[in-house]
Amino acid sequence: MDVDSLSVIKLKNILLVTVPDDPGDDTIHELQTKVLFAIEKYQSKGLILDISNVNILDSFFARTISETTQMVALMGGQTVIAGMQPCVAITATELGLHLGKAISTLDVDRALDIFTDNFKLV
Amino acid sequence: MNHSHSKYLSNFTNWSEQKRFVNFTDKDADFLKLLHPFAVEYADSFVDRLYDHLILFSETKRFLGDEKMVSRLKLAQKAYFIDLTSGEYGEEYFKSRIKVGISHQRIGLPPRVYMSTYCHYMQLIIPQIYGNPAFDIETANSIFLALHKIINLDQELAISAYIHATDEVISRQTEEILEMSTPVIQIWEGVVAAPIIGMLDSGRTQQFMERLLETIVATNSPVALIDITGVPQIDTATAQHLIDTINAVKLLGSQVIITGVRPSIAQTLVHLGIDLSGILTRPTMAAGLKVALDQLSIKVIDSSKS
Repeated sequence: MDVDSLSVIKLKNILLVTVPDDPGDDTIHELQTKVLFAIEKYQSKGLILDISNVNILDSFFARTISETTQMVALMGGQTVIAGMQPCVAITATELGLHLGKAISTLDVDRALDIFTDNFKLV
Repeated sequence: MNHSHSKYLSNFTNWSEQKRFVNFTDKDADFLKLLHPFAVEYADSFVDRLYDHLILFSETKRFLGDEKMVSRLKLAQKAYFIDLTSGEYGEEYFKSRIKVGISHQRIGLPPRVYMSTYCHYMQLIIPQIYGNPAFDIETANSIFLALHKIINLDQELAISAYIHATDEVISRQTEEILEMSTPVIQIWEGVVAAPIIGMLDSGRTQQFMERLLETIVATNSPVALIDITGVPQIDTATAQHLIDTINAVKLLGSQVIITGVRPSIAQTLVHLGIDLSGILTRPTMAAGLKVALDQLSIKVIDSSKS
């Protein structure tokens, strides 16, 4: 996976990142840095990580998500994980992986609802 | 059946080991060979006498069918008797024995009948061994022992085939029951319900979790009701499986409401010190559905009262 092709999309006051399938450790690290710089640049209130393409979640990826969530929180933002696959959720539960304070939603639409505040289930 | 048949054959590769187990040696094979000319000579009369006997009992009679069938069975039986003293007890022999066991099981012949037939066969052949002037007493004894061993091996194989076939039925049924007992249904737009019937062990949890998660994603439902009314008892293991499932659902971005928490279940949970705080629980499915609709900001109005 070419790290340069990772795009962090700014949607009003939110950032949207689509994580590619089977991201390598470098990609994940690069992603974190890009996101944090983008938050600083746009003063974003939130981050949506769309992981619907991800089929394998390893411990490094899980830890990075958890840490990124904390870092984003320190910079005043909320992280939402959108579209996790059932098989990924099962593996994560079996391995006891935690995503920290990140909120999960079924898809990107629902993640956007959280930030537009007219959705009660958070 | 054919598929499981070949699977059984491939699973069962320790024929030589089995022979060693009953102490069946090449010498035994040689002794059995001594019996071969008599087996060939008397096979017809043996088989006739055996079938004359079988026809006397209603239980065995119904397996025999018409004339044509009987003559075919007799031919097979004759071949079997001759085979028994052929002196060749390798891979081919052992495969044909398993086939015999499986085909008997398939027509529903009780193992009891199968075993008694051997007893009958022994009654017919023993006088032939000991009454034969060609064999001194020692040879006769050795032949008898060799025969006993090969028949024991035959029976072992046939009974294993019987048990194997029954096991297959049981495991297939277990699987069916497992699938039947964990349905996941969409009961409202955005709400799925999963009633658990029976104990939740680790094997079932795995299957249940997969099905629940897949249905949640397929129906895009933010709320899942897990109803435990049908769970007779809850122990720490069951509770842990429930918590695992709830955590997996949370990762997807949905919320679980446990419904059907009966008084006895509530008592057990507290006594076992299982912490379900942070998980929404309700005594009935109806109460759970109300909470679910509330969270989705859906209002259900009784139109007769408005």
